Amino acid sequence: MRPEIIKNEPSLFGRLARRISVVLFIGAALLVTAAWYYAETAANKAYDRLLVGAALQMAESLSVEDGTLTARLPTSAFELLGLAERDRIFYRVIDTKGQTLTGYDDLKTPSPLDSARNVLSVEEGVYKGEPVRIARATRVLADPAVSGHAYVIVAQTNEARLALTRELTLRATILVFVMSLLAFVGAMLAIRYALQPVERLGTAVRRRDPHDLTPVTVDVPRELDPFVGSINHFMGRLNERVDLLQRFIADAAHQIRTPLTALTAQIDLLGAGKLDKAGRQHFNRVKERTSELARLTNQLLSHAMVIHRADSVQLEPISLVDVARRAYRAAIPITVDPDIVISFEAPDDRPFVLGDAVSLREAIVNVIDNALRHGTDQRLEVRVRASDTQAFVEVEDDGPGIPPESWEKATQRFATSKSHEGSSGLGFAIAQEVASAHGGTLSFRARDERGFTVVLTLPLFKGVVK
Amino acid sequence: MIRICFALLMAGLTAVQAFAAEDNKTQFPASQTESGKLTIYSTTDLAAMKPLIEDFQKSSPDVSIDYIEYLTNELNALASEACRKQEPLGDLLLSSSVDQLLKLANDGCATAHTSPETLRVAEWANWRDEVFGFTYEPAVFVYNASKVPPAEVPRTHVELADLLRERLDYYRGRVGTYDIRLSGIGYLLAFNDARQTTTVFGRLLESMARASTVARCCTGEILEEVGKGNLYIGYNMLGSYAYDAAQRHPELRVVVPRDYTLVLSRGALIPKGAERADLGARFLDYLLSERGQSVARTNAFYFTESGELPPGVDGPQNLKESGVAQPIRIGPALLAVQDRAQRQRFIEDWSQSLIELNSPTWTRE
Repeated sequence: MRPEIIKNEPSLFGRLARRISVVLFIGAALLVTAAWYYAETAANKAYDRLLVGAALQMAESLSVEDGTLTARLPTSAFELLGLAERDRIFYRVIDTKGQTLTGYDDLKTPSPLDSARNVLSVEEGVYKGEPVRIARATRVLADPAVSGHAYVIVAQTNEARLALTRELTLRATILVFVMSLLAFVGAMLAIRYALQPVERLGTAVRRRDPHDLTPVTVDVPRELDPFVGSINHFMGRLNERVDLLQRFIADAAHQIRTPLTALTAQIDLLGAGKLDKAGRQHFNRVKERTSELARLTNQLLSHAMVIHRADSVQLEPISLVDVARRAYRAAIPITVDPDIVISFEAPDDRPFVLGDAVSLREAIVNVIDNALRHGTDQRLEVRVRASDTQAFVEVEDDGPGIPPESWEKATQRFATSKSHEGSSGLGFAIAQEVASAHGGTLSFRARDERGFTVVLTLPLFKGVVK
Repeated sequence: MIRICFALLMAGLTAVQAFAAEDNKTQFPASQTESGKLTIYSTTDLAAMKPLIEDFQKSSPDVSIDYIEYLTNELNALASEACRKQEPLGDLLLSSSVDQLLKLANDGCATAHTSPETLRVAEWANWRDEVFGFTYEPAVFVYNASKVPPAEVPRTHVELADLLRERLDYYRGRVGTYDIRLSGIGYLLAFNDARQTTTVFGRLLESMARASTVARCCTGEILEEVGKGNLYIGYNMLGSYAYDAAQRHPELRVVVPRDYTLVLSRGALIPKGAERADLGARFLDYLLSERGQSVARTNAFYFTESGELPPGVDGPQNLKESGVAQPIRIGPALLAVQDRAQRQRFIEDWSQSLIELNSPTWTRE
């Protein structure tokens, strides 16, 4: 689920991250453009006020003295313009006849002087090859000697405006980028958080026991419900199929058992007496195979039963000693070789485990049966003991045991244990199935001087036994 | 200097140019193999600049320097004409008339220059990194101690106006100042006087007019006359020249006014397109450097912004700290000073008050 594990495949996180960064980048670009635009407007407004103020002051300083128009340009007007420290200043005062009174003779407004009768105007222009802002103030004179419109044109270069625009834009840009970065980091964290249930679901499914076909019950957000639903639906169907298959096997085994019993009886009736040596040999082999077949059929049935009970039977506190003892009695046939020393060793009626007595007995029977058939040479010991948290059923024999490299294989169905004749069949598989249905394990202890041990471990029941 | 002044009076600006260019050029050859020639057009007396130029050549021995001296108005006329024709005048312009330099810069005739040295320049003495003030020169009063009794020594502008009014007969024709028609710096100082206090300036102008004040083109002339005792008091003299004159004439004393003191910073500007703008910039950096400033303090301009007044000068202990100093800010406000209508009217008013009244016969050459 992590993007770095799944290479070349598009990760959800990567896709979201890419989309979000594209959106954030476009947003940031738009914001910066807007900031630049506003900064320019603001800078223009601020400095236009200075320009207009200066033009007004200059226009105000025009007066008629002795019948002529005179301009006493106030220093303060220049000081006002000087607030834009690095900007060059150009000005021109034009009298009512259109003659330059003072200033730069070639300074003109972009639009004709009398085009707009507005008292004030500010325009863009170029003077001496430099882009400038040009303000014009009109002074209406109504003196008997001098009457008409006099104009003051003031132009200023744009350095201070540009500097202010740049500064404002830069600050806004820094802000925008910091915000975008925060938004990006926040979004990434949010995505990680939002994707966590997917990861959790993945882990839950991955960690599941292969035989567990019950519905997945991980807490997931609503959006993942259909996905979990599909998984559960699929598992449900799979479960049905497996059930069907098991039922079929159980039915088949059951069906086979009846003719098999008849067959065994027939073979016994047939007897070996009338046969010659070769015939007797064949007869014995048929008898042997038939009993093997019977055992296998029983195991199949028992396996199906165990699985069925694991799904359907309510577990209850039981004495493991009782169960083990009953299994011990059932597993040791009356016809057992009298030379073999068989013992059962257990505390009185402890420990208790939470379990299904029938399944557990079946499991222990299978383990003991397996030991008798394939392991035991002269000694077989069944022990029940307990630690603080666990209960153990140990079946020890003095046979050659199973080498550690075959342990894993031994619990699989129909795996042959070593070169012994026949196969262990389903014995360990059943025991294993029962152990895991009870939350326990089936394990092996390597052969030592005493012998080889199969251990069935179950969690101890801690509650009060009725 | 005197000769130029007369020539200007007689023949006007154009006639004087060729003459002046011939006569006022001083060459400082390079002591080593010459790698470049720096041409400086200046309004500063050679005597004041000589120690600086020679010290500069110690650190740049491969540079030869042509130092050409003009009056402020002449230099301004030449420089604007050169800028209009796009034939840059020299590699560095030095003028005490910073308003004229500022106008030149405003008209786009200057090259910006920034260096670690220019960063040290006070904010009021730097415009657009194009015009730099490199000196600190108070406008002072001078008097002849043998003619002016100690009790009468004026220490403020008002005292000067009152003195001239009270002792009119004694001081008639014995006070000298700049002729602002000829001297750009005289005009700049007078204009700023007028801005400082309208009433005091009016009274002073009136008193000076009644006392038939003598107007001359240049500081040097008035200082000479005061030193000799022909004039008793000189008004609005540049501190550096006045102090220099006081060294030569023991009778001449310098007073830094205590009500307000205009402070002028001599301006430097590198013309746009100057052939050896790099050398101009190098010399400018030298002028602004620690070393250049220290040479200027001991040998050329004497006054500094932060230091105390030179010994023997009557005035507040420290110009800057006393708050008396009114530096003429190098900034767009100087454009108002340079406005031609303004200038014309100001000079007309001034001439009417001062010049048209009779001056003593000996002052008319």
